Amino acid sequence: MSLRRCVAVLLFLAAPALLADAPGVYAITGGTVHPVSGPPIPNGVVIIRDGLIEAVGANVAIPRDATAIDVAGAHVYPGLIDAQTSLGFAAAPPRRGAGSTGERPPDPAPDTMAIRNVKISDDDADARRATGVTTILSAPASGIFNGQSVVLNLGSGAIESRVIKSPATTQISFNPRPAWTYPDSLMGVITYIRQTFMDAGHHRTARETYQRNPAGLQRPAESPSLESLQPALRRELPVVFLADSEEMIRRVQAIAREFELRYIVSGARQAYRMPSDLKNVPVLVAVKWPNAPADKEDREDQPLRVIRDRQLAPTTPAALQKAGVQFALVSGPGKTGDFIPGIRKAITNGLSADDALRATTLAPARILGIERQLGSLERGKIANVVVSDKPIFDEKAKVTRVFVDGREIRLPAEDKKAAESPASPIDGTWNLTVRAPQGSVAISVTLHAEDGKLTGTFSGDRGAGDIRSGSFDGTAFDFSISAAAQNEAETTDWAFRGTLTGDTMQGNVSTNLGTFEFSGSKSR
Amino acid sequence: MKNHTHASTPTPFSPAPGENVAEGRMRGSTPHPELRARMLLILLLAVPLAAQERVTLIRNATILTITKGTIENGSVLIRGSKIAAVGKDVAAPASATVIDGTGKFVLPGIIDTHSHTGVEGSVNEISMPNTGMVRIADALTADDVSAYRQLAGGTTAALVLHGSANAIGGQSQIVKWKWGRPVSEWIVAGAPRTIKFALGENPKSANFRPPEGQARQYPATRMGVEEVIRKSFTDARDYMAEWDEYEAKRKRNETAIPPRRDVLMDTMADILRGNIDIHAHCYRSDEIVMLLRLADEMGFKVRELQHVLEGYKVAKEIAAHGAGSGTFIDWWGYKAEAYDATPYNVALMVRNGVLTSVNSDSDELARHLNHDAAKAMKYGGLTEDEALRLCTINPARQLRLDHRIGSIEVGKDADLAIWNGHPLSTYSRVDTTFIEGEIYFDRQRDLAQREAQRREKEELLKKEADEAKKKDTKEKKDA
Repeated sequence: MSLRRCVAVLLFLAAPALLADAPGVYAITGGTVHPVSGPPIPNGVVIIRDGLIEAVGANVAIPRDATAIDVAGAHVYPGLIDAQTSLGFAAAPPRRGAGSTGERPPDPAPDTMAIRNVKISDDDADARRATGVTTILSAPASGIFNGQSVVLNLGSGAIESRVIKSPATTQISFNPRPAWTYPDSLMGVITYIRQTFMDAGHHRTARETYQRNPAGLQRPAESPSLESLQPALRRELPVVFLADSEEMIRRVQAIAREFELRYIVSGARQAYRMPSDLKNVPVLVAVKWPNAPADKEDREDQPLRVIRDRQLAPTTPAALQKAGVQFALVSGPGKTGDFIPGIRKAITNGLSADDALRATTLAPARILGIERQLGSLERGKIANVVVSDKPIFDEKAKVTRVFVDGREIRLPAEDKKAAESPASPIDGTWNLTVRAPQGSVAISVTLHAEDGKLTGTFSGDRGAGDIRSGSFDGTAFDFSISAAAQNEAETTDWAFRGTLTGDTMQGNVSTNLGTFEFSGSKSR
Repeated sequence: MKNHTHASTPTPFSPAPGENVAEGRMRGSTPHPELRARMLLILLLAVPLAAQERVTLIRNATILTITKGTIENGSVLIRGSKIAAVGKDVAAPASATVIDGTGKFVLPGIIDTHSHTGVEGSVNEISMPNTGMVRIADALTADDVSAYRQLAGGTTAALVLHGSANAIGGQSQIVKWKWGRPVSEWIVAGAPRTIKFALGENPKSANFRPPEGQARQYPATRMGVEEVIRKSFTDARDYMAEWDEYEAKRKRNETAIPPRRDVLMDTMADILRGNIDIHAHCYRSDEIVMLLRLADEMGFKVRELQHVLEGYKVAKEIAAHGAGSGTFIDWWGYKAEAYDATPYNVALMVRNGVLTSVNSDSDELARHLNHDAAKAMKYGGLTEDEALRLCTINPARQLRLDHRIGSIEVGKDADLAIWNGHPLSTYSRVDTTFIEGEIYFDRQRDLAQREAQRREKEELLKKEADEAKKKDTKEKKDA
């Protein structure tokens, strides 16, 4: 084979991949287009060319070279922006107690650059895109000074080519270090933050003084860490403080006042208490709402003010909207799958769906200073576009197509997702025997565990149906079924609680007639 | 004149301060939509009242003024946040809310000079032998219900201290228990700055040990504790000299790089300048004398010795230094350094001229410091007046706030409680507690609101359970 032929064959083989990766020209037609910067356009058109939005409107000519994509009946949005995540960073190491000594990785420092350390797996990116998110801010959240965040598109290619802004913000959170390592208390953390900003200010003064006239002066030490805080002190780079409670937000405000920082509050669970005090501060509301304790007794033991606070937390976005506070909705410490349900909860607690859309598109773009590039469907902006079969925050909405930087990114197929997610040891069909005094009862259950939740069906001597309220932590599980007692037509609740050992399980089942033992094995 | 019972008709979510019952209300919060209308109405009613200065007359009660004797069938007039008149015959304007004090006693708000209530996170920054740079004020939280329980025991003010894990702990904070108000209002504006020192077992890590595998922190002996304190002050003197030198250079128009500002050294320097009062945790007489001598040597003063169980052995030395003592009346034996103690400690220190108080170091004891004061009459024969001083004017003087609190005198803050019997009796309890003229605890109001709060809690929990059930059903259907 000649060299020329060899190259030709290689090019031919590579061609489909190259084509798939090219930004290309697309015309998305037939759907309701939500530009966010203007009212929705029924039967609108969005033209994408070479990674950018070329045209948006009702009567837009379809370019001859465009690939037409008919999304009749669906909804077209700018890709959502999640302005607070730690995607691509290891979870916070354990703080105290067992395992907290020795193996703890070093905390991030003020000059830690997220762009150098972020590692987003394909699965994580797939999962985020499936929720409609195409742009994220990412930074660690495990330390105190968490370094300089990066804003990037969840597209393909090298991280550097996907970056929208870096550094985007300086990130700070109030995490005490393990005991006997300064600072190991909240008051220590606050002092540490204040001293560090003072040191940064001193670093600037010392260097400026020395540079003006070094003769006769001691040379100040170099410090990349203090150097990295200069843009924050000059108010060029906003400082994001992670703060959930009203009191923590007020502590943040005191620090920001002391050092005249441009700052952003992130988390803000109790901001509903203080919207009028947040008028000059952008707020990133984490939609990871507090949950009630699983145990009924624990719930009842809680004081009224804690229960009230928990239930009022999701009213924060509506309260901020009403007060005219600039805010965005973010996932923060929440999981990928909690983002859209969290936004829905804000909507059921008074935020309009339109305002929720703004709070996940244009609002975060403005807060991060990227609104000329992203946040709405407008000519010239980056072509991050998502298509949803129903209005995007509807209960049953499903994102069907995603474009990032003008490239269509295939969403993971449902079956592929199921195949790829590692099977839980409890997944499968189990033959159970309940030893009741009147005799044994045989029940077959088919179980599937995901994120600690247990779902499935049951069938057997006493009826059939779905299992309810199931959970599985890797060993212990519980679930309930509605089954009939012997010779009874009516069903009652049977609550199973047990543990898994390899291919066998055992435990107790509580019914209205008493508690009985059960055991079972996996059917092959 | 309005009748007190009417004025304080219990209303859930009443915006008046101190209306909080067992669990308190949300602070500065927006309630559920369904509660909003109700709250708005109450707010509208309350606004005109708040606009004018609140005047309250407590009459026909036994007034335990502490500093000016006891007045039988006396009255206290409160105007705004201050005590406007005290005496047998006190004239009150027609607008005053009148509280009939027949058979009751009025005592100044009890003051606790050793509290750890209302601190978010650890009360110890444990990481170094000297952590004087950290400030309790930064971590104060108004979310600690213990504050309200203390109001129910007639306690209105406290010194919230850093813990005793290190020789020099953090800066402490004087507060009033304004439960229901934001924490910024708990802080007593203009109160002296304070810092915690600690001697003996705790700072030498006898009771605070790092986990296995981690080196024990210096110091490990009482000698080391002394050295940490001495070294901190010599360092501070160097630091001050460094700044003086820089300022001198600037005056001579020489180019100079300013020294690095160090928040710890700033704190130590402020102690030397007399701007921060020292409250020192201690037990044994030897370490007490060590600190007093070190203070003379280094040029600082000890404002109050805390715990000071062996104070009776060196009371004359303590008095000579001018330090106060805040102690437990009958807690001892819980560790080696707390063995050689006696309940006569309080009386012995008082008789030897030490400014002495009883304090709590405990959310629980802080609710009944009057009992500890009373015990000093049994153990050592203090008079009734002397006993009452132990939890009122004496701690006020130790905090250098006796011009504002600690007694019932014209011009002082209206921080007081109405007791249903003599406060030195174990059978007496508090009916109403005022801080700066506002009611922060009222027994009748508390009792009256319990049912409404129970119902609200039940409703909220039910609502939550219903939502969970709905979600569950939906998920089942979707599956």
